[in-house]
Amino acid sequence: MIRCVDVVKEYRVGKGVRRVLDRVSLQVERGQKLAVLGRNGAGKSTLIKIIGGVELATAGRIEREMSVSWPLAFGGAFQGSLSGLDNLRFISRIYDLDYHDTRAFVDDFAELGHQLGEPVKTYSSGMRARLAFALSIAIEFDCYLIDEVIMVGDQRFFRRCQEELFEKRGDRALIIVSHDMNFIREVCDRGAVIHDSQLYLCDSVASAVQYYTSL
Amino acid sequence: MLSTFRSIRLQIRVIGALLMREIHTRYGRENLGFLWVVGEPALFCIGVAIMWTAIRPAHEHGVPVTAFVITGYVPLVMWRHCVQRGVKAFEANGSLLFHQQVTPLDIILARVVLEVYGAIIAGLLVAGAAILLGYMELPANPGLMYMGMGYQIVFCLGCALIIASLSEISDVLEKFMGAFTYLSIPFSGAFTMVDWVPPQFQAVLLWSPSVHSLEMIRGGQFGSRVHVHYDVWYTTWTCALLILIGLSLTLRSRRHIVVQ
Repeated sequence: MIRCVDVVKEYRVGKGVRRVLDRVSLQVERGQKLAVLGRNGAGKSTLIKIIGGVELATAGRIEREMSVSWPLAFGGAFQGSLSGLDNLRFISRIYDLDYHDTRAFVDDFAELGHQLGEPVKTYSSGMRARLAFALSIAIEFDCYLIDEVIMVGDQRFFRRCQEELFEKRGDRALIIVSHDMNFIREVCDRGAVIHDSQLYLCDSVASAVQYYTSL
Repeated sequence: MLSTFRSIRLQIRVIGALLMREIHTRYGRENLGFLWVVGEPALFCIGVAIMWTAIRPAHEHGVPVTAFVITGYVPLVMWRHCVQRGVKAFEANGSLLFHQQVTPLDIILARVVLEVYGAIIAGLLVAGAAILLGYMELPANPGLMYMGMGYQIVFCLGCALIIASLSEISDVLEKFMGAFTYLSIPFSGAFTMVDWVPPQFQAVLLWSPSVHSLEMIRGGQFGSRVHVHYDVWYTTWTCALLILIGLSLTLRSRRHIVVQ
């Protein structure tokens, strides 16, 4: 279970303070799949980063009773000047994984071939997403945080994710930020909308999508 | 107890991984690669040692110049590199903070370990070469020298922790660093011995913990040929204070780091 209790996040902007999240509370149980919707800049990525421990909340607290992945997003998690392989080595070391097993899995899942030896900054966003998903699936988290990035992959990558993440690991929890309503309807079983710094939890994905489209 | 042990093991693993990463990003995988960790400070020490040996008289204040330069330069390079690598270290490693087990403290520890290691190995190589070539003698009192090096390492770590955290909070600090590291050279104790300066300046120099550790290192190298001034108690508490301030700032710094 992951629980956010009265999470507040403020950023200093010039001389003032901007409150991006205002006393946000939510709970995600094992296996639940939560969609977080909202307009651009509403604070969805910030919430995901706070849940993933990348940013600290200004107030409130996060309780994690299961392992949570790093936010799978367009930026972060990799060192651009290092090759995919060096990044893989680094992540295997800090998560205590066997390098050869991890490499075999990543090779098979991400299908980056010889490009795994090139610096990550030369990767397209689709390639980065493939590497990030391959690594985080190899680590076997209880909950995956997905920030948009799944949509940049091609058909084949999407099918692999479907297989490895949504079917084989269907018991894992997901928190997904996306603007792709079809994808959300297909994968998620709960929905929430962030608007005006508040988080509104909806009864169903359909009502969350409806609320979001009415904004 | 078990969980403390496990989290210490995890942190050691993270620091090890950061070390490897640091070496690969800074020196690449091609040609000499990680040898530059040692090569960079070694080149500096060799250059300065040769220059001073050539242009200065063989002895100053009765102290052989080559050994004086090497015993001064190695700790100075160690300090300067630690402080320079501390500036904006968290921002440079921001993408790694995506992983929960990587903390700002690990980042600084990894960088300091690398710089200290580089400076010490470089020092051993250069001193070893100078001894073989007859420009330097073996340390008269190795124990005192190790103690001085130990204090210098702790001093470097304390400074790196403080500078890294402050540079994250204030952008202005970064601009001052060049002037600061240059102007602080007299207070490093690398180019003069306390005994050589007039008494009214001695007291000022001895404010700096680095001067105390340099005096210990010189005392270790030259033994009774020099008269050294150091206070173990003063060095201990000032270094401990620096480490405490540094740790407390580093543990607080996480809030100020905005990860892209």
